[in-house]
Amino acid sequence: MARFTRRHVVTSGCIVLAVAVSLVGAATIRDGVALSVALVIAIAGTATFSARGMRANHPTLVRVVLSAVAIDCALVSTFFFSATTNFNLAIGAAMSIVLLGLSFLTGASGQISLGSSAFMGIGALIMAMWANHHASTPIVVTLLIAVAGGALAGLLLGLPATRLRGPYLAGMTLAFAVAFTGIVNTFSSWTGGDAGLQLPTSATAPHWLVALFSVSTSPFVTNTMWITDITIVVTGVAFFFMANLFASRTGRAMRLLRDNDVAAELVGISLSRTRVIAFIVSSAYAALGGALWTLINNSVSPPSYSFALSVTILSLVVIGGIGTIPGALIGGIIYAYSANVISWITTQTGLNPQGNFASQLNGIIFGGLLIVTMLFAPMGIAGAVRHYWLRRRAGVVTE
Amino acid sequence: MDPFLTSRAVSDILGGITNGMIYGLVALSLVLIWRSTGILNFAQGAMPMFATYIGMVAFSHVFSYWPCVAVSVFVGFAIGGGTERLLVRHLYGKPELNPIVVMVGFLIVLEGAAAALWSTQPRGFINPFSPIDFQLGGKPVALSAFSLYEIITALVVMTTVAVLFRYTKLGLQLRASALAPEVSRLLGVRVNRMLTLGWVLSMGVGTITTILVASNFFTGLTPQVMDGVFAFGFIAAAVGGLESPVGAIISGVCIGVILQFVGDFLNSNYIILVALGILIVSLMVRPNGLFTKSTARRV
Amino acid sequence: MITVQGLSVSFGAVQALRDVSFFAETGKITAVLGSNGAGKTTLLRTISGLKEPSSGDILLLERSLVRQKPEDIARLGVGHVPEGRGVIGEFTVEENLRLGAMMAKVNLSAGLDEQYERFPVLGQRRKQHAAKLSGGERQMLAMARALIAQPLVLLLDEPSLGLAPQVTAQLMHVIQDLCASKNLTVILVEQNASTALRISDHAVVLHLGTVVANDVASKIAVDEDLRRYYLGMVD
Repeated sequence: MARFTRRHVVTSGCIVLAVAVSLVGAATIRDGVALSVALVIAIAGTATFSARGMRANHPTLVRVVLSAVAIDCALVSTFFFSATTNFNLAIGAAMSIVLLGLSFLTGASGQISLGSSAFMGIGALIMAMWANHHASTPIVVTLLIAVAGGALAGLLLGLPATRLRGPYLAGMTLAFAVAFTGIVNTFSSWTGGDAGLQLPTSATAPHWLVALFSVSTSPFVTNTMWITDITIVVTGVAFFFMANLFASRTGRAMRLLRDNDVAAELVGISLSRTRVIAFIVSSAYAALGGALWTLINNSVSPPSYSFALSVTILSLVVIGGIGTIPGALIGGIIYAYSANVISWITTQTGLNPQGNFASQLNGIIFGGLLIVTMLFAPMGIAGAVRHYWLRRRAGVVTE
Repeated sequence: MDPFLTSRAVSDILGGITNGMIYGLVALSLVLIWRSTGILNFAQGAMPMFATYIGMVAFSHVFSYWPCVAVSVFVGFAIGGGTERLLVRHLYGKPELNPIVVMVGFLIVLEGAAAALWSTQPRGFINPFSPIDFQLGGKPVALSAFSLYEIITALVVMTTVAVLFRYTKLGLQLRASALAPEVSRLLGVRVNRMLTLGWVLSMGVGTITTILVASNFFTGLTPQVMDGVFAFGFIAAAVGGLESPVGAIISGVCIGVILQFVGDFLNSNYIILVALGILIVSLMVRPNGLFTKSTARRV
Repeated sequence: MITVQGLSVSFGAVQALRDVSFFAETGKITAVLGSNGAGKTTLLRTISGLKEPSSGDILLLERSLVRQKPEDIARLGVGHVPEGRGVIGEFTVEENLRLGAMMAKVNLSAGLDEQYERFPVLGQRRKQHAAKLSGGERQMLAMARALIAQPLVLLLDEPSLGLAPQVTAQLMHVIQDLCASKNLTVILVEQNASTALRISDHAVVLHLGTVVANDVASKIAVDEDLRRYYLGMVD
């Protein structure tokens, strides 16, 4: 008989718990059985595929399975969440895609960009503009077009960026972020200027989804859930690709480049090509996030894609943890609930919600967090946790 | 002569020089901090803005224009010195990313705090210089008492900084602390104080610049007033090369003139686009700036 | 003039100096010898305050130098010409000298005249950028810069490094003159043991951070074992 490791015990325990909860909590026996089967598969899958042996030998397969499981769990939970929660979840998920892109750019290739908001804006605008002209294109295709637009912009900006060191690069991306507003206004007949654009038709949930709910449910709930589901799937796919990229040869090349560009070039890695690729990837991700925001909000408002947003994005990346995948998720969650937290703070401290202080609180808090995190915990939350784990593991080995 | 001086081209040149002097001052203060402490101060517009609010707005009930200016400059000194001691000191020797991120965060915090304390309503200052253009034979020349005030103040500041650095003992110590801090210590130079002084001086230049911009009848003081100016000043510094104070000023003036023409002959929306274009092109041609000499060796 | 007592210096886990003690007499030249990695440069840097010791003390006359900032120690009269000379290439020769005179309450023009007299080459090139000087000229500039402040103690780190023998001889001559005329205390770190021993009064030999010999220079110069094993002087 094989030895019972802690892993086996935990897995069995989870399975028993899941079955019990589903059978007790479900409305009908049929629902309960279906739910428990789904949960058992999910838990067993996670347990098997996260084992160290599996991870080492079949990394891509493990990534696929784990991503699929995570996405499915998220999708199922949207069914139970309220429309507001789903909305926040969607906004946060889209933001985490942007954060992932920037985290990759900075963490993997050492380049600093203050222009994320502009790339988001580009994706958001393309989404709205395309939908207004070609209403029949499927959502996914429009998203891909927005991504392509972002990638193209990334190429255009990334080419000159390869030759620049840190401060110059940061300044150039800052100039780009500031220039974005100018570009929007210059072509305001297309972009809708300050007022922005509306999507011609909002995304509606398909029949089979509506059928899962009771008849009295408002279309708002089902539509929000549908949009949130789309966002979650897209987010999952985006994270999956990023995880692969991180581990691939290109990803390793980028990390080597970040740490020692002279050595990297000696080994034959093309400095400019790798840096441009990193730039294109991060701007494509930012554009995807922006396009999703347009989908979620059903409209685009160019003034919201300002330099201040770039700074917020940067803070979230730093707080979550530069160069880490969990960090991007943490940042997304923080963003989704930051508005709530800030209004809670406003009420707690008795500030006038319409007054000067309250409207500036967002900027002050994120700016302050950025400074504090960079000074005292530059690795961010995810970075600090991983650091702690590695030290523990190293400690165990030498004992 | 008259038709020449009131012509469109000359008007643009004069207007461009006036703006360019401002950009040159911003670029100069960026170069000062870069050369003395190796940090690109993204909050270079926001810090003096805050000092200006304190001096010009908080004290406006007590003092008239000139005393307020003096107060602002002193507050600017204090903010510069305080920031160096408390914030920047922890950033020396850290990876490139850290100071950039921290100063950007500081920028946002300062703008938010200023807006929270004094709102975003533009504030004007009653200053003794009229913004009305001078007349020459019945037509306006693109110079007013106010723009002369700007140009002359800028020239005075630039000359003072130049003299300070090249001909005084203090300037020698400042340069030495930037070029060779360890050796300077062995020669008795109080390097840490010099680093702080670099920031203090830069803030002095910055505050005067902000006051010039804010005193403009058509602009007024807002928390965001220096955002655009900082962007153009940074572009001037980057184009000229962060190592070269003279390059910074020349680039600033040239960019000011070019952008004035763009705004006049094209559309004001194109100004930032052209500026961005200038930045990209010049950095592709010479990534370290147009006026940087090849690196001098230190033995 | 300078008393080093039980000095220990480490860089993280690596111990560069272990319990080093010696005395540098006023107006005399004390040589610090030993092969690479013996800790000679670390010793000088600790005396001038660039490195903090983990234990032990350094006294300038009766005054403890440990835990003081380098700029304060310099102002007490300790001049340090570091490894590599530290001449500021972007400054002119005269600017380098002016920098050296900054902290001392000396008459600048008198001080400059004195250094130009001692090192005529510097006088000829006074307006040139220091980066254009040859190795020997830079060494002279570094020394003049340290001397213009009228120090009590001069710490010299491998002054003969990279210099032709005649230039080295010239330099050593200057050092001897200074000791005699100004009662200057010199601590001279050298890899080139024979040159150093020729002009020194006292010598300390370091090996891997510890003192293996501490004696009158003439005695050390003739000690066979020391010559072979620690000083690299093969007959």
